[in-house]
Amino acid sequence: MSVFRSLQDSAFTEWFLGSDSIWTYPTVLALHTVGMAILVGASFVVNLRVLQMAGDIPLQRLRPLYRFIWVGFAINLATGLVLFVTQAADRIADPVFFIKLGSIAAALWLGVLVKQRAIDPDHAPQVATRSTRSLAATSLAFWAAAIVSGRLMAYLHS
Amino acid sequence: MWVESTRISKALFAMTWLWPACESLHFMGLCMLIGGAGLLDLRLLGLFRGLHIRHVKALMPWAIGGFAINAMTGGLFLLMQPHLYLSSAVWWWKFTFIAIAGLNAAFFETRLAIPALTMDPDGDTPVALKIVGGVSLFSWFAVLYCGRMLPYLGTGN
Repeated sequence: MSVFRSLQDSAFTEWFLGSDSIWTYPTVLALHTVGMAILVGASFVVNLRVLQMAGDIPLQRLRPLYRFIWVGFAINLATGLVLFVTQAADRIADPVFFIKLGSIAAALWLGVLVKQRAIDPDHAPQVATRSTRSLAATSLAFWAAAIVSGRLMAYLHS
Repeated sequence: MWVESTRISKALFAMTWLWPACESLHFMGLCMLIGGAGLLDLRLLGLFRGLHIRHVKALMPWAIGGFAINAMTGGLFLLMQPHLYLSSAVWWWKFTFIAIAGLNAAFFETRLAIPALTMDPDGDTPVALKIVGGVSLFSWFAVLYCGRMLPYLGTGN
């Protein structure tokens, strides 16, 4: 039996999904949504400003927003792992799941590039370069893709 | 419910892709709303010291846009499957927290916007602004929580 099948068929999964309590699956799912709101919300603000679509906040002042990005990501990594365990065998064979993970990785990586180019340097110009703006726009697109594929997963769940 | 027997309700619900599409848009809208309003609320709470409020207000059109997307998609959910919501206590709680957040925002705009824009950005924020920011941030996350818990606490599916 594959490790993923044994995770999905484990006693933990049976308890987690079978429980009537709202403190198991529903709460973990709600926390996953909270994490998403923090992670994508903060990313949204950063990228919009870099794209010159959200006023003229001095770019360096956006640095603390990355703390929220990492907190949101940490919440979703933890809750995501729990959710994955309970569906491990189904998800590992689900292309939409990998599209979601890939989109998240791409969005985060592009967000870090934006940070390094436009936000971290003390004397970076207040209007980001065209290439950096492209990265910001692409990062937003990948967040949208992550959200859509996350929703689709709920429908393709066997 | 009588709404569900109307032609428009049936026609909308018959489009199988519409419900998932509305859900995706609803999630994107909430990220826009919590991102934009969240930054303002955190600033009112005293974080991001040194940042002038006028900079943060530049996010407001996006937060309102996110709210508008969610009001529209929420309206479509209601129109398609009202029974999932109108008989659910959790949904009424969600609506209540939306009202609290909205009234709180209106109070801020009409009474506290001038003091916020004219205060010294390098100082700590006054208590009134902290309360407004705290109520707003709590309310929007309560809306999110109620919405996500609907299938499990409410009669929805």
